[in-house]
Amino acid sequence: MDQGSEKNQKTETMDPAKMYELWLKAATNFWENLARMPAGENDMFKFFSQHQKGSSYQAQQAWERGAQIAASFIAMLSEPENLETLFKATDTVPEFFMKISRQVWEGCLETHKTWAESAVRIGKHEKAYNFDDIDHETFNTIRKIYEKEFQRYFYIPKIGLTRYSQERASTAMDKYNVFQTALSEFIYMFYVPLEKSMVVMQEKVKEMVEKGEIKENYKEYYSIWIKILEEHYSVLLQSPEYTEVMDRTIKALATYRQTRDELTYDLLKNLPIPTNREMDELYREFYELKKKVRELSVKVENQK
Amino acid sequence: MSQAKIPVDSILRYLAESTEEAKEKSQKASEVLLGDLDTDISQTPYEIVYQEDRVRLKYYKPEKIKHKIPLLVVYALINRETMLDLQPGRSVVKNFLENGIEVYMIDWGYPGRKDQFITIGDHINLYMNDMVEFIRKKHDISKINLMGICMGGTFSVIYAALYPEKIKNMVTTVTPTNFDTDQGLLHVWMKNTSAEQMGPVYGNMPADIMNLGFLLLNPARLIIDKYIGFIQNMDNKTFVENFVRMEKWIFDSPDVPAATFKQFIEDFYKKNLLIKNKLIIDGKRVDLKKITMPLLNFYGKYDHLVPPEACNLLPKKVGSKDVEDICLDTGHIGIYVSSKCQQAFAPKISQWLKEREDEM
Repeated sequence: MDQGSEKNQKTETMDPAKMYELWLKAATNFWENLARMPAGENDMFKFFSQHQKGSSYQAQQAWERGAQIAASFIAMLSEPENLETLFKATDTVPEFFMKISRQVWEGCLETHKTWAESAVRIGKHEKAYNFDDIDHETFNTIRKIYEKEFQRYFYIPKIGLTRYSQERASTAMDKYNVFQTALSEFIYMFYVPLEKSMVVMQEKVKEMVEKGEIKENYKEYYSIWIKILEEHYSVLLQSPEYTEVMDRTIKALATYRQTRDELTYDLLKNLPIPTNREMDELYREFYELKKKVRELSVKVENQK
Repeated sequence: MSQAKIPVDSILRYLAESTEEAKEKSQKASEVLLGDLDTDISQTPYEIVYQEDRVRLKYYKPEKIKHKIPLLVVYALINRETMLDLQPGRSVVKNFLENGIEVYMIDWGYPGRKDQFITIGDHINLYMNDMVEFIRKKHDISKINLMGICMGGTFSVIYAALYPEKIKNMVTTVTPTNFDTDQGLLHVWMKNTSAEQMGPVYGNMPADIMNLGFLLLNPARLIIDKYIGFIQNMDNKTFVENFVRMEKWIFDSPDVPAATFKQFIEDFYKKNLLIKNKLIIDGKRVDLKKITMPLLNFYGKYDHLVPPEACNLLPKKVGSKDVEDICLDTGHIGIYVSSKCQQAFAPKISQWLKEREDEM
């Protein structure tokens, strides 16, 4: 056999349409033969006849119907017009997968692009609020970045059977982050007077050294420092800025506790124990009933 | 040769002496801390004569009764009434007993989650009124003497305005009635924050959070200096005992029922309704002009929690003509526990009550 005819033969055998046609014929013959097979010659029917005597006839009928449906479906596929459509579609399979892959890939790219844009915006916020003035603006900046760029991811609409549980979990996570930010700012505020009082103290000591007024008793330095610290705290605690931060921390703590409790109720309701919410409802009923009983007792006493 | 600016030699000498002193001090301190310490508070014997839910009425009987009318003491819901009987030498209760006064004192107990719906009205119209009724019946008298402390004083003022026919004389001590002041940090914070939100989310307002708030009023002194002072005096047994007694009292704090806390912040701190005669308790308006019984009003000049401005308006607003205002040179707690106030406070009250006992 020359190389050319071998190549032609190879191309012919590799033709998927012909291969498919051959397979269809084989499959149709198989199912037709199987359907025509008498029940007694079929091992499966033998088994069912032995173990489910009453239903052997029904099983045989069902078997024959199933085999006939399979044979008809395969025969239908082997009709020329159906085969043509099928092969056209087969040609488009790679294209179809390419299209899906491209779309998925583009979606991923788009998401990454959005995240990258968020990161770029974080840089812009930094410039806008200036981290040099760290005492006043750092926490403000962190909070604004979080609110504008991250918080919304926790509020992507939830779907499906567990959507409410998902919603409660992500809300609790968001409120926890908000609380942590507020708490960090609150704690930082208490650190500032410590730092500033140390600076003032250093200047004071330097002045004393220059004047030759060094104290031998180190306790006197402590007394000077604690007075400076007290004054710094006094100024801080009376400032509207402090009250604002305190208020924000209280609100954040209250909201976080509420959302955390909501999530906890979700988890607890599957356990055989009463939740605080259920107990609170009972407590309210007790409270109202006690008041009512008391009121009625007073009325009865007065009528005696 | 010029003299050195820094006397290094004397500083080093002082340090060496201090090190020696610290070594001795720490040895003595360990003996004190590991030895027997008398740190019990509220040692004066009493009897529980009435109880409603968790609220109890303590009765302190003097050896010799010299006053015809007993005194009911109403403490605040924050911290406990044990402050009036902190230690034998500094006990307001003991002082009253020595003066022959029968003392009744409300112990509000420790509110639990089930108490979260209890309002200010419930404290006044239910618990306080039932206890006043109990004392009136027990002693077969129509009027009793009433003494209020801090928030308990505010409750007493409301009670006296709602039930003037049951009160013979009233003593208010460090009692806030005017909340529209910026003198105290607490007033500024309560007016400008959402503290009232805390109660409902915790069930009740947690005492630990309130205590943290009190410490933050002066962190340099209350969180640092106070404990430095303790370390410096750890070798002094009496100092340690008194210090531990005070620590026991300060941090023995019940939670405040959420509904009461919320109402106190909103109607008192934020709206200042009491002094304006606009406060409504269980549907009834609290009119301070109805307080016609004699009034003795004590407060501390250096009180950082309830500043003088929060206390000194009351005598001008009540209907009584027999009013006395006393400002002592001390702070919020000093009135009751400082040695210098032991003579100016409880004996003065005893004498003031005695003078008005037979008046009608």
